[in-house]
Amino acid sequence: MVVKRINGQDLRRSKILDRDKISKSLEQATSFGASYAELRLVSSNSTSMALKDGQLEKSIPANDVAATLRILADGSWGVYSTTDLDSIANAIESTTKLAKSVASRRAKGDSPITLAEVPIINDEIHWKTQRDNLDLEFDQRLEFLKELDSAVSDDDRIVSSRSGWSDEHIHTELLTSEGMDRTWSFQRTLINTMATARDGSDLVSYRTRAGGEGGWDVIEAVDLQDIGESAKKSAIRLLSAQRAPSGTMPLIADPDLTGVYIHEALGHPCEADLVASGDSCLAGKLGEKIGNDIVTVSDDPTIRGGYGAYPIDDEGVDVREKKLIVNGVLKEYLNHRQTAAEFGLEPNGGARAQDGLHHPLVRMSNTVIHGGSYDTLEDLAEDIQYGVYACGSRGGQVDTGRGSFQFAAQEAWLIENGKITTPLKDVSVSGMTLEILKNVNGLTKEANLAGPGFCGKGQTVPVGDGGPIMRISDALVG
Amino acid sequence: MIPDDITENLDNKTREIAKVCKSLNISQWEIIAEQSYGYELDIEAGKITMASGGGAGGFGIRIINDGKYAYTYVNSLSGIEKALLEAKKICDVSPSIDGFELPSNSDATEVKGMYDKSILSVEPEFLLSQGDDLISHVGSLDSEAKVTGGGIGVGVTASQILSSEGIDQAGLKSSHGLGVQVSIDKDEKITSSWQSYSQSGLIDFIPKEIDEAVHWARVTRNVVEVDKGAVDGKVVMNGGAFTPLFSMVVPSAIAGEKYYNKESLWSGKIGTRVISEELTIMDNPHLEGGKASAGRDAEGVPTNVRSLVSNGILEQVNWSVRDSAKAVQQGLVESASTTGSAQRGGYQSVPYTGNTNMFITSKRGNNSTEELLSKMGDGYIVNSVMGAHTANPTSGDFSVTTSSILKVEEGEVVGALKQAGVSGNMAKALSGIVEFGGDVRPRGSYSSGSVYVSDVLLHEGVRINPA
Repeated sequence: MVVKRINGQDLRRSKILDRDKISKSLEQATSFGASYAELRLVSSNSTSMALKDGQLEKSIPANDVAATLRILADGSWGVYSTTDLDSIANAIESTTKLAKSVASRRAKGDSPITLAEVPIINDEIHWKTQRDNLDLEFDQRLEFLKELDSAVSDDDRIVSSRSGWSDEHIHTELLTSEGMDRTWSFQRTLINTMATARDGSDLVSYRTRAGGEGGWDVIEAVDLQDIGESAKKSAIRLLSAQRAPSGTMPLIADPDLTGVYIHEALGHPCEADLVASGDSCLAGKLGEKIGNDIVTVSDDPTIRGGYGAYPIDDEGVDVREKKLIVNGVLKEYLNHRQTAAEFGLEPNGGARAQDGLHHPLVRMSNTVIHGGSYDTLEDLAEDIQYGVYACGSRGGQVDTGRGSFQFAAQEAWLIENGKITTPLKDVSVSGMTLEILKNVNGLTKEANLAGPGFCGKGQTVPVGDGGPIMRISDALVG
Repeated sequence: MIPDDITENLDNKTREIAKVCKSLNISQWEIIAEQSYGYELDIEAGKITMASGGGAGGFGIRIINDGKYAYTYVNSLSGIEKALLEAKKICDVSPSIDGFELPSNSDATEVKGMYDKSILSVEPEFLLSQGDDLISHVGSLDSEAKVTGGGIGVGVTASQILSSEGIDQAGLKSSHGLGVQVSIDKDEKITSSWQSYSQSGLIDFIPKEIDEAVHWARVTRNVVEVDKGAVDGKVVMNGGAFTPLFSMVVPSAIAGEKYYNKESLWSGKIGTRVISEELTIMDNPHLEGGKASAGRDAEGVPTNVRSLVSNGILEQVNWSVRDSAKAVQQGLVESASTTGSAQRGGYQSVPYTGNTNMFITSKRGNNSTEELLSKMGDGYIVNSVMGAHTANPTSGDFSVTTSSILKVEEGEVVGALKQAGVSGNMAKALSGIVEFGGDVRPRGSYSSGSVYVSDVLLHEGVRINPA
């Protein structure tokens, strides 16, 4: 038994793991031959809620507690994940054996896994919120959602509106055989809506999100009427939009789409676990010029309010801003302790796990392109004879090894003779990372995180991304 | 792999929750319990890097009172009373749907092949040996090819549904799956392909998907230059490219609530032709060992084999219990009732309307690959696409990019394109001539339903836009 008594305990605030018992278990792992052992517990209190056409569709309060034991023995990993916390003590020996079994199959030439050294810290970090999600009542959530939904559905052409809410309080405890004992907590809050419009046989949808790291003050700070109204107008505008032209042409992306572009095209290939596995087009390119001089990109979990913010990474490493590209030169990979050791780099706090049942991978947080020299969208568009201005994201995907990517816009317009003209729909953009970064030839001065998003890489984690309005000289538009 | 008393233990806990529901005077309740155990291993950079094991599970509880409902889930019974009290409060203020009640019990078909006892005795060593075999098999097919990512997983899930209306069904499901990302990194050029295979029984062979991953990593190395500019024409889509686009559009179009709320691209078209008269779409939850097979749906309602589109005519749509009652109350449809089509994404999810094992067949089926290419003449083979999730389910429009694509002239492959956009409209593509190969395979996941399909030759509705 390695947990304190849970019955009657407020899991949302208190430490859950019994330090003495866990420390003994981790020591036991080292006595079985482990070079490193850790236990990470995540307790999540969340509520998701949805309205459909103004009516409550669901409201789901939930509490999840799970833990992952990770053991490095003979240079290989063994992992045990469970929702049954009582079972952890009995899993120490078998998980160490699992790691040793993996290690025993390692080829002679292959290096054992090692971990880069990090400061051993014992502390607690709890990011404060102005409005605590744990104090939020059902009626308050419903009120926010109704305000948003009412602004969406206020038109006969809108045949359906769906609005959703999600808030969570994430509490993590990490204990390691090196003596690390860190506890941290933070909150995230998200609201979204989708407007579906119909005119005869034409049917279109537009969706948008707002939110970020923090309590429900994050939602209080946004104009829900404006978000709803904007989604409605966009959906209605899409009804008369034309199919996008196909071909290679200049593209201007709004901050939302710019963020998805940089996340897919650059962020993923910068993940050092993909570089290490031979699945990144940026392997061996640290220090090389891979983009235009005007391209500087950061990944920064310390941006409070960004949906990808977190106070400590899931290996207990302090987080900081990572400058991935500076003036077109690849400066840094995102890494965790294993890849940092493999490449002889410093760990930079890029380890994230989806929840208590998953082990950490190298992930992005809040990824942004820095601003440039242009003032406005109009300035960027004035030299374009024929191109596309694309806004909002419907998601994207990347093949990191080949360096090819795709992302889709919510709505778009033609650019003709320097002017934004005809509305377009179903615009997607694709390209090759190492080509298109060189084709970025204009950025507005102002650069901000755009809407919150989610990133899938076997595990799903919340992310933020954004930047300025960006112009690409040649992009494959479909 | 799993405790001997897993079903008994799950049953005890489920009945404990039922007791709490009764003590709180909850009139109708439904408990979904799940507990999974398994092993996994990760392969990176041509070697096994991690092995993992463990178990996870929890309980989802839906309560209904006077047409109002609420849902909550927990993975420990310690907080169950508190969770149910909160759910009860939510239930009280939720909108009431006339006629919305939990289904009563009735006999269901027993679906075979969902549980392979031999998986219980699988030890991590077996998976590690299988991982070694996969890695060496790929190397034996092409010395330059490497498994840069992927893994193997094996697991057993015990589940139970218990309701106040007499539904009491428990069972075990097993699964074994593997996936590989095969890459060839040579001459400063990486080509790669991802393929996977899974089944409910033990896999004790190297599936042909592994060979195909090597094949696609190899054949896409020979890049040919083609004229820039979009081309509308015939395209052969492999099942792996066709299914994600099809799955974004068609299941949504036949969801009852969307259909009657005019949110479906086929709204108002029951009884009329929506796709080519040569095409038929069936949903078969009783397929032995099928990826999404089940004798009961996620609300405990018995499932049936159903024809959705017959010879191009839309025959019916899918309903869950709640969606059908709600649509009737809203006046969207005069009468509707569950078709046994409720699905869930596990115990954390409320039921939603979906499909199980969906089959799309054509009168022009069972072609060999050579026959499909010959019939296409000039065109492209699309092996996989990126961004299928950005397809528009309400219009059927899609605009994605290829992961791998080959150029075909006069029925012969002449080389690969570096990259191309693929756009079109799924409904339009299925309204033209559609021909199928003979190698029908399941694609897609357990939770969201699967599509059983072979390679597909689409004669129209698709545009290729070479980079």
